[in-house]
Amino acid sequence: MPHRLSGLLLFPLLVGVWAFVAEILPPQSRYLFPAPLAVARALWESLGVLWQGTVASMMILIPGYILAVLAAVLFGIPVGATTWARHFFAPLMRVAAPVPPTVYVPYAIALLPTFRASAIFVVFIGAFWPVFLGAVSGAATVPERHRDNARVLGFGRWEYWRRVAFHAALPAIFNGMGVGMAMAFILLTVAELFGANVGLGHFVQYYADFADYPRMVAGIIYTGAVTFSAMTLLAQLQKRMLFWNI
Amino acid sequence: MVAPQTGAATIGAINIRGVKKTFTHQDGSIIEALSNVDLSVAAGEFITLIGPSGCGKSTLLRAIAGLHPVDAGELTLDGEPITGPAAERGLVFQDPLLFPWLNIHDNVAFGLKARHLYREHKAEVGQFLKLVGLETFGKSYPHQLSGGMQQRAALARALVNQPSVLLLDEPLGALDAFTRMNMQDEIIRIWQERKTTMIMVTHDVDEAVYLADRVVVMCPRPARIEEIISVKRERPRARSHPDFLQLRGKLLKILDFGGQEREPEYRI
Ligand SMILES: Nc1ncnc2c1ncn2[C@@H]1O[C@H](COP(=O)(O)OP(=O)(O)OP(=O)(O)O)[C@@H](O)[C@H]1O
Ligand SMILES: [Mg+2]
Repeated sequence: MPHRLSGLLLFPLLVGVWAFVAEILPPQSRYLFPAPLAVARALWESLGVLWQGTVASMMILIPGYILAVLAAVLFGIPVGATTWARHFFAPLMRVAAPVPPTVYVPYAIALLPTFRASAIFVVFIGAFWPVFLGAVSGAATVPERHRDNARVLGFGRWEYWRRVAFHAALPAIFNGMGVGMAMAFILLTVAELFGANVGLGHFVQYYADFADYPRMVAGIIYTGAVTFSAMTLLAQLQKRMLFWNI
Repeated sequence: MVAPQTGAATIGAINIRGVKKTFTHQDGSIIEALSNVDLSVAAGEFITLIGPSGCGKSTLLRAIAGLHPVDAGELTLDGEPITGPAAERGLVFQDPLLFPWLNIHDNVAFGLKARHLYREHKAEVGQFLKLVGLETFGKSYPHQLSGGMQQRAALARALVNQPSVLLLDEPLGALDAFTRMNMQDEIIRIWQERKTTMIMVTHDVDEAVYLADRVVVMCPRPARIEEIISVKRERPRARSHPDFLQLRGKLLKILDFGGQEREPEYRI
């Protein structure tokens, strides 16, 4: 336990360094690098707006992410478990998966009717590939003994996917979900920088345009806290579902 | 599926003719895991399979289970060629392969669920768990059980499917001597009740003789059946019957573990 809590010491330490740097900077550049206290004040004053921004952002992130995970698993397990399908999709996976999904953002915004639809779409693309690759590799590498076992117990294809391959692939799926979650946040904020009028990314962009750096930094820290909470939640879910994977 | 029957077994006859199986290893070497195996097993017969490590016992069981195609020869069950795995031929693997993400109850119920028979046969899961002495461990997960307990769970999982042929690859290997004898008697009881054809691999000569109608001895290089010994004793059998001692000696001799007593020149 003490080891795990030691991570909490890092934050006061970072704030200390930050305060120190802000203090020794020449006065004319201080407005570009606000001190912790100024940021804390800005954060406090903006909490209401930031909360509204959180709600708006989550309305994009949650549907995009959940759709991505569902599609990636439903599609990835059969592809991974079927040799020919795996080979068939391999070139696509090699080409499409590494494309940074941020390149789709301007086009998606131009193409789709509403900002929300296009933002959900890019979040979906960003989260889909890591989860899909996880599901495919997980289903492809089910230990042979589990496969044989399912066969002698009289399993059909569908039952095998659902009752064996999915569970055996779950650790790999969760790894993909972690990467996918980080991608989803990146794409969300990038999309909001481009075209939103609410949301966390928009908040940061808006105050950067006005050179209100205490508020901008407050927005960044707040967004970081939201991301951190989401990742922690996912880690908890993973721990619960993979209790057998020790 | 199969209700307890009376009288002689009518299904579960296996015929193996000229079966060959080779494996090619990564370095290009070719291993002949089975070379020309012939064996006829009557419906409801209890066969034990014994032989040194690597002589192809597991390979033969897997071939009967339909897990891998053979290179030559023919395998039939009740006259029908064996082309792939099916629930009528249950296999308990050498190492207990429970699904780690399912608890013991669900592991045992697995085959029933897969074939959509769980609803009608729900109660049997509990019965078979009780049979293998795991009735209080239904909610535990495989990693919480000992090796022997996992083996018993794997046995229950195969039994609940009520196959007409049960292939057992050293199912009692990880058990202590007492649990082992207990399980041997349970297996005999199940076998007599269900008239299931049994083919069981064992490394234990006493177990082979005690359980079998016929003991099949396999030999490596080339992997083949060396000899088949009939055990003509009524059941229930007494473990310490002198006939067994004699059969045991005969088996050990075939397996080249007969000892040197009969050759005094080697004695000190
Ligand atoms: N999947 C496989 N790939 C390659 N070679 C294999 C494979 N399965 C078995 N063999 C080889 O076939 C031979 C027989 O193996 P098998 O597992 O049937 O032996 P066994 O009689 O069951 O031995 P043991 O008593 O140790 O379990 C061995 O030489 C082994 O290396
Ligand atoms: Mg073996």
